[in-house]
Amino acid sequence: MLVTTFAGLTPGVFYGIIGILLTLMSQLTRTVNFSQMAVGMFGGYVGMTMIQKLKVDMWLAAFVGLIIAAALSGIIGWIIATWLPNAQIATRSAVTVAALLLIVSVSSVLFGANHSNFKPLLQTNVAEIPVAGVKLFVSQNLVVLLLFALVIIIGSSLLLKRTMFGVRLRAISDRQAAAELIGVNVKVLNVGVWVVSGALISIAISFMPNTISNDYISFSLLVIAGSAAALVGSFKNLWLALLGGVIIGVLQGFVASLPAFAAYKEWVTFILILVFLLWNQRKEVWDVAR
Amino acid sequence: MSPANSTKNQAAAKSSQPGVRSFIKPTFIHSPWAPAILGVAFVIVAILIGLLLGTVTDFGYTRMAQILIMMVLLLGLGVVTGTAGMIALCQLSFAAAGALVVEYMSLYHIGDYFGQWSFFFYMICGALVAMVMGLIVGLPALRLRGVNLAVVTLSLAFVFDITIVGIGFPAQKTGTFIERPFGIDGSNDAPALGATALVILVIAAAIAVGIVYLQRSRWGSSWKMVAFSERGTASAGMNVQVAKLSAFIVSAGAGGLAGGLFEMIFRQGVTTVYGPYASLVIYVLAAVVGSYLVDMAFFGGILSVIIPFILTRLSWPLYIGDMLFGVLGIQALTTGSNLGEDIRRGIRKRGRAAKLEAIADIPREAGKIASVPIPQGTGKPLLVVTDLGVQFGAVSANSHVNVTVTEGTILGLIGPNGAGKSTFIDAVTGFLPQHTGTVAIDGLVIDKRSPSFIARNGVRRTYQQDRVPSTLTVGAYVRFVTGGKATRAEIDEVLDFFECPTYYSPLSLVDVGTKRLIEVAAGVAAKPKVLLLDEPAAGLDHEQHIAFGERLRQVPTKYGVTLLIIEHDLDLVRSVCSEITVLNFGEVLASGSQEAVLSNPEVLKAYMGETELL
Repeated sequence: MLVTTFAGLTPGVFYGIIGILLTLMSQLTRTVNFSQMAVGMFGGYVGMTMIQKLKVDMWLAAFVGLIIAAALSGIIGWIIATWLPNAQIATRSAVTVAALLLIVSVSSVLFGANHSNFKPLLQTNVAEIPVAGVKLFVSQNLVVLLLFALVIIIGSSLLLKRTMFGVRLRAISDRQAAAELIGVNVKVLNVGVWVVSGALISIAISFMPNTISNDYISFSLLVIAGSAAALVGSFKNLWLALLGGVIIGVLQGFVASLPAFAAYKEWVTFILILVFLLWNQRKEVWDVAR
Repeated sequence: MSPANSTKNQAAAKSSQPGVRSFIKPTFIHSPWAPAILGVAFVIVAILIGLLLGTVTDFGYTRMAQILIMMVLLLGLGVVTGTAGMIALCQLSFAAAGALVVEYMSLYHIGDYFGQWSFFFYMICGALVAMVMGLIVGLPALRLRGVNLAVVTLSLAFVFDITIVGIGFPAQKTGTFIERPFGIDGSNDAPALGATALVILVIAAAIAVGIVYLQRSRWGSSWKMVAFSERGTASAGMNVQVAKLSAFIVSAGAGGLAGGLFEMIFRQGVTTVYGPYASLVIYVLAAVVGSYLVDMAFFGGILSVIIPFILTRLSWPLYIGDMLFGVLGIQALTTGSNLGEDIRRGIRKRGRAAKLEAIADIPREAGKIASVPIPQGTGKPLLVVTDLGVQFGAVSANSHVNVTVTEGTILGLIGPNGAGKSTFIDAVTGFLPQHTGTVAIDGLVIDKRSPSFIARNGVRRTYQQDRVPSTLTVGAYVRFVTGGKATRAEIDEVLDFFECPTYYSPLSLVDVGTKRLIEVAAGVAAKPKVLLLDEPAAGLDHEQHIAFGERLRQVPTKYGVTLLIIEHDLDLVRSVCSEITVLNFGEVLASGSQEAVLSNPEVLKAYMGETELL
């Protein structure tokens, strides 16, 4: 039980990273990006096809995957920034739902029934911790993912709070029209955020434990666990998003260790979403304009 | 300028001419029987086509049934995504729930009280279960704004699919099939499939007609309203969550019924049909065609069956169809348009020019509006606001504001921009629950109450910004705002009094100034105790202004509605208000009779110092 629960930590941190990226996207581009995982998935399958067909090096394939994911994400961002610059968050997010469908169906056509799991870039364990008679394995991937999450959180906080560039980014998310009037190139910045988020998710996927994915749609729908994590931080707090992801991963690991409930471990995410929506809804918010 | 805009402007120009009302004659479509008659006609035509096609092509009855089932799914989804403007991504989970219930009840003979008709009882139970699911999921997701519903429905679609795959459909697991209704035999021969398709046709048509009636009802108006403005919905006395939740539950119910129809034709549930991917496809398809429109839901059904049919014939991957939907979906969602609206616009563009000419203009009889003096009221304090304070961070938007509105009068609330006038109205009508002080209407304390409660209890308001959705007709909007309490004759009378466009005129053809008049007319028709008007005359020209003032003076006696009016135009204030309260920097600068306030040196100073405001 302890082993499986602890093993949930790695996917948990991974969910946390998705949650962090969703939070950043929602803050900076006013979009809940349902295609967040799908772009990374697409890049990943391009990379894997290269490994299988062209026998290229794993790291090169991961890099190409990153470029593809970043570009794809940028295209979606560009479409939204061009045609829906002032639309409500729900309208903008709806586009990413269609993008999710498009990416999954294109993957199905391009890569066929290739449902083999991605292999993480790193395979070995860093440490073994003996606890209560069992050994808990700390994989390199866990360490890398955790460091990566911390880098994103601390890096983005420093960027947004301490630099002029960060001020511009916050300006476009708060009052886009006002930012435009004082000469900030809103569209380029917006698309930039999309490109970076595509690249970051691609990096995270490269270190993702190979236990979580199987097919295009399930893989892309890891965005659900990510959005549950983001909800823990109310789509505002990056640390809570990471914590939320870890909670989901560990709880899922725990439920998976109970034979009677193992098949229902995904309900953890769903129930967590319901609980946090109930928690968040204490404060009713009206639209600003009157 | 696009032709659509120019026709709109033509119409706008027409309706803003003094003494002229645009008038749209009611046609067959407006009659209450129209949806039912069209539904029956559709069934008859479909049967005839079915009889013809069933014998000449292999595009058989099963596909016909599939088209109709997809139509029901799309139409239900259209209510929540198209009409109410939310993202719901679990339509097929509701169908799965409906199918599961029907299959269990049928296989284990639970509730077969109705003989040949029991199948429909199962279907209703299935729909109810789906609706309960919708309630559980929708309740937490719909209170807050934003995309929570999308997150939670996508999650539901995912876990529900995994669970159903895990437990499996009972018939499939045991290798049995359920019975069809009316003793239709279970074979896949043409007569049996034909009879089943016929039953599905009648049910699907009944569901479609039912949804059309719902769309036309006050509920339908509330869904369109909530998609456009939550504040506007609440101010009309409709609880925003109830409006959203009802749309979502109707959609879930339609999904559940569709699941039952699947069972009727296939007699066995298949888990692969109901996955989250399928729900995504149907959401995007609904957005592409505009499936809140019945014809487009039907068209969507045809697309979803014909495209895979063609792809199979060509031996191409089926996913190409979904790629197509994905591309069209991005296009539709970024342009905020859909096939149904595009087609309608195209048809209208052709017919519009002629139709505009055909719109009869009713010339106003000069001097029809009797000139009455400024109403002096009964002397009874009606709306009493005591020590009202609103704090936005460090900014004090209202502090220690005392205002008493006397029954039967028109109180003017004036002051420079940023004086806190609209904040005052927001606080009184419940949009700023953090305010301090008390608000009472006719003795009933209403502070800390929800906006919809306050609206239902006699304090209504209008807005500076456009809160009148162009998806409704003038009449449907007024009927919605009045809570269905005003009769048709009363609505027509109020619209006539304020020289608004007539009942069936679409609001999409109405200019902003006239929309504001309609908003005021609707507020008056709702017969609140007090109506708070936030700059109602902005956007009207000089002559309309004067006529508007004449009408406002009649409102307290004619309709029994006391008014509070925020207005920058002092001519209008002078012509209608017996009493005036002046706000400056969030505080009451002066208050009292019109003459006293307007000659008050402090008031003059506040105004003269900022002449641009006048």
